[in-house]
Amino acid sequence: MSNIDRRTLVKGSLAAMMASAAFSRSAFAQSSEPILLGVSGPLTGPNAQYGTQWKQGFDLALDAILADGGINGRKLAYSFEDSQSDPRQSVAIAQKFVSDPRIVLELGDFSSPASMAASPIYQRAGLVQFGFTNSHPDFTKGGDFMWSTSVSQADEQPLLAAYAVKKLGLKKLAVLHLNTDWGRTSRDYFVNAAKEYGAEIAVTEGYIAEERDFRSTLVRVRDSNPDGLILISYYSDGALIARQARQVGLKQVICAASSVYSPKFLELGGEAVEDVHVGTRYFPEDPRPEVQKFIAGFKKKYNGLEPDAFNAYAYDAMNMAAAVVKIGGTDRRAVRDAFMKVKDVPSVIFGAATFDVASRRVKGAMNAELVVRKGQFALWDGKPT
Amino acid sequence: MAEQHTMLSLRGLTRRFGGLTAVDAIDLDLAKGELISIIGPNGAGKTTLFNLVTGLDRPDAGHVSFEGQDITGFSPERLAGQGIARTFQLGRVFGNLSVMDNVLIGAHTRLRAVKPAVPVIGPLLELGLALLRPSSVRDEEERLREEVKAILARFGERLLPRIDQPAYSLSYANRRRVEIARALALGPRLLLLDEPTAGMNPTETAEMQGLVAELKAEGLTILLIEHKLEMVMRLSDRVIVMDEGKKIAEGPGEQVRGDPKVIEAYLGHGLSGAAEQESAA
Amino acid sequence: MMSSWLDYTINGLIVGNVYALVAVGLALIFGVSRLINFAQGSIYLVGAYIGWVAVVQLHTPLPLTIIIVAAASALVGLIIERFGLRPLQNSVRIAPLLATIGISFVLDQLVMLTFSPNPRALPSQLPDVRFQVGGGTIGPLDLLIAGVGLTSALLLFVFLRYSKLGWAVRATAQDRDAAMQMGVDVNRVNQAVFGIAAALGGVSGLLVGMYYNQIDTAMSLQATLKGVVAEVVGGAGNVPGAVIGSLLLGLVESYGVAVFGTSYRNLFAFLLLVVVLVLRPNGLFASARQGPPEPLTGTFIAPSRPVRIPRWALLVAAAIFAILPFFPVSFYVLQTMINAWLLGMLALSLTLVAGTIGQVSLGHAALLAIGAYTSALLSLTFSAPVGVAIIGGGLMSAALGTALISPSFRLRGHYVSIATLAIGEIVSLVILNWESVTRGPIGISGIPPLSLFGYELVSPTSIYWFSFIVMVVLALLQARLLGSHLGRSFRAIRDDDIAARAYGLSLNRYKSLAFIFGGFAAGISGGIAAHLYSYINHETFNTQQSILALTVVILGGLGNVVGAIVGAVALVGLPEVFRVAAEYRILIYGIVLLLLVRFRPQGLLGTM
Repeated sequence: MSNIDRRTLVKGSLAAMMASAAFSRSAFAQSSEPILLGVSGPLTGPNAQYGTQWKQGFDLALDAILADGGINGRKLAYSFEDSQSDPRQSVAIAQKFVSDPRIVLELGDFSSPASMAASPIYQRAGLVQFGFTNSHPDFTKGGDFMWSTSVSQADEQPLLAAYAVKKLGLKKLAVLHLNTDWGRTSRDYFVNAAKEYGAEIAVTEGYIAEERDFRSTLVRVRDSNPDGLILISYYSDGALIARQARQVGLKQVICAASSVYSPKFLELGGEAVEDVHVGTRYFPEDPRPEVQKFIAGFKKKYNGLEPDAFNAYAYDAMNMAAAVVKIGGTDRRAVRDAFMKVKDVPSVIFGAATFDVASRRVKGAMNAELVVRKGQFALWDGKPT
Repeated sequence: MAEQHTMLSLRGLTRRFGGLTAVDAIDLDLAKGELISIIGPNGAGKTTLFNLVTGLDRPDAGHVSFEGQDITGFSPERLAGQGIARTFQLGRVFGNLSVMDNVLIGAHTRLRAVKPAVPVIGPLLELGLALLRPSSVRDEEERLREEVKAILARFGERLLPRIDQPAYSLSYANRRRVEIARALALGPRLLLLDEPTAGMNPTETAEMQGLVAELKAEGLTILLIEHKLEMVMRLSDRVIVMDEGKKIAEGPGEQVRGDPKVIEAYLGHGLSGAAEQESAA
Repeated sequence: MMSSWLDYTINGLIVGNVYALVAVGLALIFGVSRLINFAQGSIYLVGAYIGWVAVVQLHTPLPLTIIIVAAASALVGLIIERFGLRPLQNSVRIAPLLATIGISFVLDQLVMLTFSPNPRALPSQLPDVRFQVGGGTIGPLDLLIAGVGLTSALLLFVFLRYSKLGWAVRATAQDRDAAMQMGVDVNRVNQAVFGIAAALGGVSGLLVGMYYNQIDTAMSLQATLKGVVAEVVGGAGNVPGAVIGSLLLGLVESYGVAVFGTSYRNLFAFLLLVVVLVLRPNGLFASARQGPPEPLTGTFIAPSRPVRIPRWALLVAAAIFAILPFFPVSFYVLQTMINAWLLGMLALSLTLVAGTIGQVSLGHAALLAIGAYTSALLSLTFSAPVGVAIIGGGLMSAALGTALISPSFRLRGHYVSIATLAIGEIVSLVILNWESVTRGPIGISGIPPLSLFGYELVSPTSIYWFSFIVMVVLALLQARLLGSHLGRSFRAIRDDDIAARAYGLSLNRYKSLAFIFGGFAAGISGGIAAHLYSYINHETFNTQQSILALTVVILGGLGNVVGAIVGAVALVGLPEVFRVAAEYRILIYGIVLLLLVRFRPQGLLGTM
């Protein structure tokens, strides 16, 4: 939506203070039992790494929530059920959660097939399914119990397109995207926005998640004579593409979606990701207090490990869940209604997050325009690469 | 015999594997009701010849005709439909099927009610009839089961008490018997027996010899591969001797037995095929 | 554009090089044991991580790294051979194949537990010089990989041809029993072969990890898949053929990308495999005409006496499950049982084709996908009532599934598994790419819920009854089928297809009928799943489903109708019981598979 500047940051922190003042305390009976959230996500199987990253983000957020006295004196906890991101298991987990009266809210699943297969169960039972990584445009259409803080690709991709076309001045683009529901949706939004900003799309190439070799794809890219490469990728495949692009002699500007924003991208890409531009929702030097708190806390808790985008999504999601439960209490329907009421929750990704009641998503993701310089993500200084 | 009706006729039948000619320009005429034995040392090409006749293998040259029709290169399932049944040297029963089911498979080509001869949708009708089982199908199945019991009765008490046992649990000799029963269930016009007595003791061999003699007496046309010369001499109308793919002698048993080429073929290979066969079993 | 074709060619050869490292190891093992080692990719994974420890933590120089990785991987190979496969020597032929699948689960999961699933960088220890070739560049690692691939192929060739052990290996490959009689120590030969193949697999994992500067636990399955494709294309068991098959695979993929785009890449890889299997089942480089193989009667499937369950016991069990929702059981339990019934339908289908007629399919999830997409599209696009749409899904799966699989009807044994694996992948890739019909990766959402005669079935209880009744009906039909002449015909073809043909059984006809019947059951299961989930895409029905279904079928007993259902309940239920040990579930699953293959290959209820 807008660049991070002083005004948004001030607005964000003010909003955060207001939000914490508005927390309702009346809804809670005193109890020593923790308030329980259900998490359905992959801990084994091909997407296991993302479930592990979720846990890191959740735990960090919970530490702070607990330190602040929990939810009106009660602890907040989660029960993580491994779904392997498999729809068969996510539906069983959904039944487990909806029939467990302790669960007030569900987070996940990771992939759209797993999440959306479970949606009818959550919707019918009246338990909120908070799919914080589900960018599939139809996810929140599953019913009024489906909510998401996943940055809508309708929001994110125009920001990336603006970075590439307006700021970096790229006129002819090659788009490489993961051929999943996320990558495909993102590509379409990106292509529309980039065209609107006056760029030409030379070629688009979708690849499957397990792909390792992109050399031939990059020859196709080269033959289309683009002046920039757009990567709608996760960090591991993004790093592979950047490396191989340099190896086959492509020297064009590379501009990547926020999903590559991870220290792993730098580690895996090495020198090849130098000068890669990344449109992200936050960056380490971002002075916003919620960002600084997140990064410092994360490094402290995980032995100096740098957090990445998926850690941030999970961290934000847990904070949002806490804010919602503070308003809604332990009644599931009230929790659903609390999503409509909750305002300006401090968030790494959104600054101050408020749901759009019609779409049940959060609008106005922050935008930071980064570039890799000397092996680190740095705020882009406006200089061409 | 030449004036009689010819059942099977081979002309210049040849099969090569790499540099080896396993069957080399074999000619043969088998008349209706005749029993011809094929003998020869191991590796002489006898079983390959059977494979060529029954469609399991295709000749590189030459022709096979059956009842005047050229059947060279026909698929084995088609030849089974024409009434050619065989047993296998290594005893290929269906291990997990019961004795009854093994023999019923032999009667497969005679199923009519459940296998209507309708083009294109015939297989689907077969599936439907197998599931619905109208009375015509049930009757046919019942009739065949009775027939199988009658066939098994020809082996005395060897197989009948084991009719529901899986074939893998049978003794070696009983498996050979099941194979022959299965071949008989086809209602064959031509029967090819590949060493039916391999691995049998003298009593069992005598029983088998009696059965083959019975079949011959009933007018069945038989081509027999056998190492036990005693049995060959008793049963055969004619004997054909093969060595290294070639037919080296042909004629009545006694005549062939004295043929120097035959003696040399056996001695030249050091081992008598029969002796080796015995020791292998 | 000419220069681009040169680049595509070079790129194809480079990636082919990478495939060759895995394929050579697979070929070696196949050559001796007639076994497609599905654990080869896992050894490759283990090698990559051992390499990571050596490079990143011990800072060993490259030659030492290679030696460490080779030695450690060889050790893993020897352990696999000694404890995983040797006990199965006299077992049925399907047992070692399944054991390697189990071993791969165990190894992959151990690596994941030890190193976390996060990808890691594996820096190359070679100087970063690059040589201009065509439009791109190649580096020293490209040359090293090519060097290792070619040298190992050459060394193996010399070893097999001229050394005493090599002679023994070849003798064993040709005729195991004869070699044993001639005094060859077959166990030692197997050990040598597994050691060499594992060392090679480990080193290839290391080099490929360095090549991409990235290792992660997902690399195992991909390596196995591509290696198997390359090996079979080159002619299973043929070491030089494996190298050429790999290069060919690389080229076909590269040209496929050039002409049709990146998303078609694997489609070409698997199409190449199917075409080669159909036209030249022994691989491109096998001699044109070999003697008819002499299959061993009844050894592919374990001989067994199936456990006879009295009819009253089945009735009681069915009655208990039918009234289960009246007891105070949670919806979670009901949902889990719904999953079991859906998997049960798939298992009924697979136990018929894999068990009864002996076509061990590794791509059965494709039939689910066909049924699910057909039913979803019928109800969404043509507003067909859900009940009708599901039956439509079953019929489409029966027809299309049988048509797709029919080219592989002439194959036998492990080749059938490879072909069905490829066909399963092809179906999934066609779903991904045929966007005008399937909506590609976006998938189909908003699929109407289950309904019958206008009544929506949305409560877990009603869905439970619906899926239970459908499964019972399918099971009864299948039992009736097995009791007919088709049952014995299918089983005869499984036990000995040569003898079956000699008695007039047309393989095409009866394999088609088995796939038609089985495809219908699988398609129904997929159709119900589509309406249950409301959203499906190309990932919903994946290879893991196929392997799970096969495990169910083996657990229950091949061809055993009751066994398929018991297996489905067990393998849906057990992982739920082990939920507390989430991270260890696949490990446990792998170990259960191994123990089963070792101690009860005929399954719980026995082969029918």
